[in-house]
Amino acid sequence: MDFSNRQTALDHEILMSIDKPSRYTGGEPGSVMKDDADIRFVICFPDVYEIGMSHIGMQILYGMFNSWQDVWCERLFSPWMDLDKIMREKKIPLFSLESQQPVKSADFLGITLQYEMCYTNILQIFELSGIKFYSSERVEDEPIVIGGGPCVYNPEPIADFFDIFYIGEGEVRYRELFDLYKKCRYEGRSRKEFLREASHIEGIYVPSLYEVTYDENGRFADMVPMYEDVPARVKKQLVKNMDEAFYPTSPVVPFIRATQDRAVIEVQRGCIRNCRFCQAGQIYKPVRERSPEQLKELAREILKNTGYEELSLSSLSTSDYTHLKELLDYLMEYCGEKKINISLPSLRIDAFSLDVMGKVQDIKKSSLTFAPEAGSQRMRDVINKGLTEEDILHGSEMAFKGGWNKVKLYFMLGLPFEEESDAVAIAELCNKVAGVYFDTVPKSERQGSVQITASSSFFVPKPFTAFQWAEMNTPEQFVEKAKITKAAVRAQLNQKRISYHYHDSGTTIIEGIFARGDRKVAKAVEYAYKHGAIFDAWTETFSYEGWIKAFEETGVNYKDYIYRVRDDEEKFPWDFIDSGVSKKFLLREWHNAAAAKKSTDCRKQCMGCGAGVFGCGVCVE
Amino acid sequence: MSVTVRFKFMRTGPVRYLGHLDMLRYFQKAVMKAELDAKYTEGFHPHQIMSFAYPLGVGMETYGDYMDLEMNACDDAEALMDRLNAVMHEGIKVTGAVILREKALNAMAAVAEADYELAVADEGASDTDSGAAQKVLCDAISELMSKVEITGGKSAKNIRPGIRTLECKNDSGNELRLVMRLSSGSKLNVRPADVFEKLCETEAVIESGMKFKVTHLYRMEIYGNDKDGRIVALNDKTAE
Repeated sequence: MDFSNRQTALDHEILMSIDKPSRYTGGEPGSVMKDDADIRFVICFPDVYEIGMSHIGMQILYGMFNSWQDVWCERLFSPWMDLDKIMREKKIPLFSLESQQPVKSADFLGITLQYEMCYTNILQIFELSGIKFYSSERVEDEPIVIGGGPCVYNPEPIADFFDIFYIGEGEVRYRELFDLYKKCRYEGRSRKEFLREASHIEGIYVPSLYEVTYDENGRFADMVPMYEDVPARVKKQLVKNMDEAFYPTSPVVPFIRATQDRAVIEVQRGCIRNCRFCQAGQIYKPVRERSPEQLKELAREILKNTGYEELSLSSLSTSDYTHLKELLDYLMEYCGEKKINISLPSLRIDAFSLDVMGKVQDIKKSSLTFAPEAGSQRMRDVINKGLTEEDILHGSEMAFKGGWNKVKLYFMLGLPFEEESDAVAIAELCNKVAGVYFDTVPKSERQGSVQITASSSFFVPKPFTAFQWAEMNTPEQFVEKAKITKAAVRAQLNQKRISYHYHDSGTTIIEGIFARGDRKVAKAVEYAYKHGAIFDAWTETFSYEGWIKAFEETGVNYKDYIYRVRDDEEKFPWDFIDSGVSKKFLLREWHNAAAAKKSTDCRKQCMGCGAGVFGCGVCVE
Repeated sequence: MSVTVRFKFMRTGPVRYLGHLDMLRYFQKAVMKAELDAKYTEGFHPHQIMSFAYPLGVGMETYGDYMDLEMNACDDAEALMDRLNAVMHEGIKVTGAVILREKALNAMAAVAEADYELAVADEGASDTDSGAAQKVLCDAISELMSKVEITGGKSAKNIRPGIRTLECKNDSGNELRLVMRLSSGSKLNVRPADVFEKLCETEAVIESGMKFKVTHLYRMEIYGNDKDGRIVALNDKTAE
């Protein structure tokens, strides 16, 4: 079909007056047009196009839905402020990229929730589309609004805005959901009846069917289904055999440069490492690998279909992929012939990875990245980051000898059980790394000098981690700690070789509230949005004071969500989700953290976390 | 050894909102997909040796733009065109391909003139009386073309010699089109937007009270010179 005469929703004058108009015109290679689908599903990443188009999860669902004849999946991103203003002034309804038709006329609006700071953008999407904010107010002809992605592991702060949350990996239950939708429509059932039926599907959570109670202090007490047929717990869905799961070989290739502008193959899902701060490590358990044979074929197919000049291997920890050497040997040869670069994020620095990186990357340009997360060994034991000082120093030495002289180090501040000496230790570790350079690289071989770039983010406790009981630092404490680190850096012998940055503390606090808040938070999100909060993940649009005012005006006791250690027995708003990983296991890990006691990883020894119930991946290796 | 192939292409529809660098990236990917035997630069980050005659502005459609690609070898340029078209996407199409003579100028250096068409409308009028508007524009053109010197715009250069031809047409229904041939390239580069702006500043337009806007912008062809200085299309065998 030829769609070159597709009409754009925005006229020439508007398109010529905004930044990057092709964010809104669709029609990219790999995008799908249909004219006879039963179900129109708009999948939305609530941030700008370049960020959303870099997300592989959205590409997977887009490809899978469109592989079904009866479904047309279209994309939607947040209009940037310039277009937002024009759409409001001219009352132009928000439209999906493919058909350029109003979002409101779709059957489903699926929103992927990758980070908490996108929550106000969801309300922008609703408002510009003419969809009501609250699920309870929506009427028959409005789309069914579904949320998915990692933030749904505590969906409660935005539960009132959604009709459905899909808990887990999208590949598993959507077919069932769509079949039910078609059946209900055929039988002339109402929106409410469909939602009630949908709640019977595993992994489908319909917030309006549950009643939440609070104790005398206004704290979350319990959440129970309103009807007998609605399940009390919702079970996380996951792909058991990665080789059998859908993976897009003709992804949409953006015309404009996306944040991740390359072909991506997902080598495995999940992580064996059990870092106590990491939510992804727990919610994607157990680790499941793709076979090297399939990955080779996927790489060839995707490169052929997209014309990308770079291929990236994606996973939470690519070094743990058991067939990495075989895969890379193959890819280096295949890509070398075709002049295709290979990028390798999330590799541990060791002899093997340095060898590979030396072969595939431009030595002059690249810097090496370590993520020790904490400066002292005691803190790394607390968070169970299985990386020792020796690993870091030895890795640095090998890297320096191999010709690298730029090292990036990532840390967190505000971790549980952290002391002043731990903040100082960050500076000391940077100094030692720089020292390794001067000790191991003879003067005659030095090309430029060593550069250490250290940055620290502030820690946010997340649901389904060992630290879900932990207390957060206040903005003042965060900044205080960062200043200690900064001063300590200045006191080091090699201080001139070290640059240190830290993230914004205000954003961290709001993220913390969303991460472990309950249903009452929604009112504050609405208030903040109506008073100008939008694109909160962008520093130029974020206002900490605006948010605090929103919590105060709506009577949300936000401090209670973050500034206290939670009791071992406390019930959490997200306890209704059965992620496989048991609360008992997480509590044991929380106590281990308090004792600075390390745990193992899933390959060395099973820790009995509970994810074995899925009967797949590393649990059955 | 290598040969340079000059491709002529068109771009129409929503894809016209791409910027120049996006077009470059698009064609690089197309060359990869079509598995053409493109020549690469040496070094750590080898890349294709590709250049465009004239960057396409955001919002402009074209029926006659050119892209040069260096190939390791090529004896049938038309076959390359077919292979590229097999991987093209909505709105972009390769319409010609020629192997360049060994000493031909690169596309950008060869550019001398270009044809444009601007669809224009009177902003004020709801159902445009295109007859009246056309008369105003024709008067404006006579007024503008009678001048010896037209300055202003981005450079202080006199653009009058660069306006080779300028007419107002009313071919299809009510749509008015300004049809123009303008000098392009390094010596004197006149942009269609500059000409439009100058037209709007004529007494004829100001006195009419009409407020014109451009609703569509097309590049129709790009020209170079042959060895005797005559104007020929950029893919003409005799182009310098």
